[in-house]
Amino acid sequence: MPRITYHQPQGSQQTIELDEPAPLMQTALRNGVPGIVGECGGQAMCATCHVYVREDYLDQLPEKSEDEEEMLEEVASPFDERRSRLGCQITIGEDLEEIEVDVPESQV
Amino acid sequence: MNAETLEAEPTVEAPVADDGVISDLYNDPFPIYRRLRETAPVHWVPAIGRYLVVGFSAIHTIDHDPETFTANEEGSLMIRAMGHSMLRKDDPEHAEERKALGSVLKPKAIKTVWNEVFQCNYERYLKDFIAEAEPDTVDGQKVLRADFHTGFAEPYAAENLREIIGFKNATWQDIRRWSQDMINATGNYADDPEIWDLGKKAFDEVDDAIDEVIPSLDENTLLAHMISAGMPIHSVRANIKMTIGGGFNEPRDAMGTTLWALLERPDQLAQVRQTGAKGWERAFDESVRWVAPIGMYSRQTTKETVLEGIRLPAGAKLGVNVGAANRDPAQFENPEEFDINREQKPHLGFGAGTHYCAGAWVARAQVARVGLPQIDAQLPGLARDPEREPRAGGWVFRGMLSVPVTWQCN
Repeated sequence: MPRITYHQPQGSQQTIELDEPAPLMQTALRNGVPGIVGECGGQAMCATCHVYVREDYLDQLPEKSEDEEEMLEEVASPFDERRSRLGCQITIGEDLEEIEVDVPESQV
Repeated sequence: MNAETLEAEPTVEAPVADDGVISDLYNDPFPIYRRLRETAPVHWVPAIGRYLVVGFSAIHTIDHDPETFTANEEGSLMIRAMGHSMLRKDDPEHAEERKALGSVLKPKAIKTVWNEVFQCNYERYLKDFIAEAEPDTVDGQKVLRADFHTGFAEPYAAENLREIIGFKNATWQDIRRWSQDMINATGNYADDPEIWDLGKKAFDEVDDAIDEVIPSLDENTLLAHMISAGMPIHSVRANIKMTIGGGFNEPRDAMGTTLWALLERPDQLAQVRQTGAKGWERAFDESVRWVAPIGMYSRQTTKETVLEGIRLPAGAKLGVNVGAANRDPAQFENPEEFDINREQKPHLGFGAGTHYCAGAWVARAQVARVGLPQIDAQLPGLARDPEREPRAGGWVFRGMLSVPVTWQCN
């Protein structure tokens, strides 16, 4: 079953299993994962669903769109050129079956 | 529903707010919001035929569940006043129109195109503001006094919007009048014919201005992007009207509220000055939480539902009151205070979910990056005018009506 693991800055973690493919941001919101806001509902507009993808999964990610690149320049926590992504732009359960991400300190 | 089934269900009917509530909201809605919030997150208000939603988590639920809470409201006054814009549509129709805005309102365009426009307008309208200020003596000190709201915030915000839309055939005063007259029509619950007439006149003038300017649009403008994305002309017209309504008052009001809040709180103003750019952005964002310029928007239930334990019938019209939710103590500590040092949490001042404000980046840039920091730096001893009272008003839309300030003559 596809799954997402969210690691919090304080060290706790939460793994969510998915019944159907879903973006990382919406999955966090539906399951009450703290630290992911998703103010704009997934339009790559607000830069509040920033995550750091863990090393093991980096080469399986889809390319960043121009919209995502633009928003990543505006994130509230430090931008990591390799690991920073927007959670609304990464869907799990299609090409990618599993992912682990670090939730940043702040989204706003 | 009879009493028996009501008892059997874990839900309750919304409490009914008394009619006095609405007439008292204009001057200062916040004590009323507090009273409502303390009783229930949702109230039925017969005076406006709506359920007023005042709790933060209730609104969060609404904003993220468009299937139950549609933006496409039946009999919407906004649709009558401005046409059927994307703000009154759900996805996928909404998403398609939103996409046609392209990158015009986003950070890259702000950096490459709009910051320079804002800077130019800042210099121009600051010059007018100073030239029109009234010389006087306060406590033996020569000062200039003026109203920041009408003297600067209004022309600056209107001119910025005029250029972003691409109305080179209109003036900032046209934008101000169109915006006010269409907003008044959008809120014309009393069905005043005079308000409808003025609204219709603005509606027609905007259509004429769009038709006139389309053949000669500058490529970076909102109109140019909508047209080249193939948006149908009736949608272009409605979306431009919505933008005139939502893109002028809000930055103007956020600018006035931010400045007023800081001038009243010298410690926070000193901190903002020390912190620089980040500090001004923080103050701007806190002011949008504290006094949300768009205080309420509408939604309608598509089916019977239960919101925070309160039953809502199918087709119920809701007033989603983010002005109240932004001061919900369940979300914010000391919510009634303006405090740039509060724990940073998301608020609802720009809405949330798919209708999240498309102009948020533009507002932040013109208010917090260009306008306020420079005006504060360039007017020595900028302070509240000790002899004139600032005024604020409104609840569906709320902002300063007058921000009297003084500064020292050079």
